[in-house]
Amino acid sequence: MRLPTPADLCWNVKCSPDQEWIERTLRIAVENVWPQALEAAHSRNGHGSHVVEIVESAIEHAVCRLKTGDPLGPEQVTQLLQRLVLQEVRRRRRANGRMVFVGSSEELPPTPVRNPQIQIDCVLDLEIILQGEPRDVRLALLLRYSRFRWSEIAAALGTTEAAVRLRCKRAIERIREKQEGEQHES
Amino acid sequence: MNVALSRSFRKDAVTLTEHPFIPFDNEDDSLLFEKLQEHVLAHYPNPERKGCPDPAVLRSLIDNPGDVTLAALNDLHIFKCAECTRLLLKLRQKKKQREAAE
Repeated sequence: MRLPTPADLCWNVKCSPDQEWIERTLRIAVENVWPQALEAAHSRNGHGSHVVEIVESAIEHAVCRLKTGDPLGPEQVTQLLQRLVLQEVRRRRRANGRMVFVGSSEELPPTPVRNPQIQIDCVLDLEIILQGEPRDVRLALLLRYSRFRWSEIAAALGTTEAAVRLRCKRAIERIREKQEGEQHES
Repeated sequence: MNVALSRSFRKDAVTLTEHPFIPFDNEDDSLLFEKLQEHVLAHYPNPERKGCPDPAVLRSLIDNPGDVTLAALNDLHIFKCAECTRLLLKLRQKKKQREAAE
């Protein structure tokens, strides 16, 4: 990130003529603190995009304190600004709770919702519906699905049409219920 | 004559997508299974033919349904495969045409 000039960051520092030392020492302190502020913002918030706001906020607090005290040298102002920058970083981190945003949403890996295979598994799934059904029922339903008539299925399975339909009745009812449910949802 | 009734007379001529409001409850459950086929064709594409049984097994299912086992069909794979469903419907149609010609 390009290093802003101290003048950029101290834009809102307004002091009376007898307190011009505040602006002067703060400009030096900002130059000293900037790399550390950038690093702290990065390591604590996951990105350095708010570092300008953080330093500006720290400057504002520093000005308030310096106006009420005795004149300080650049080193002492640098220490004060360092402390205030770290406080501001912590405050912002607390405000964001436990959420840490690293990078943009474009960099995120695909979510399960975007995965078409998962989406398919959410729709009417005959494998799941027919889980636990006896083999003859499953075969009969496969044959019916293949457009065999019930009488043909009965002949293939060596039984009567009434028997095979009775065997498949419960499974068919479950499919109907599920399918009607799907229709209502869509 | 209402649409549902006319549907029963012209079962093969009317598609379900034209009349989505037709009730499922018909005598031989054909509407239910047609709807299921549409559903599988729309939601379970399998261009790589993963887990598909050999086409010969599907042909055998159509020609001699009593001879095919669930294991040979990879259990209920067909219910989750648009490609197998499409092939089955094609084979079934061909068989019907053959039978009609005879």
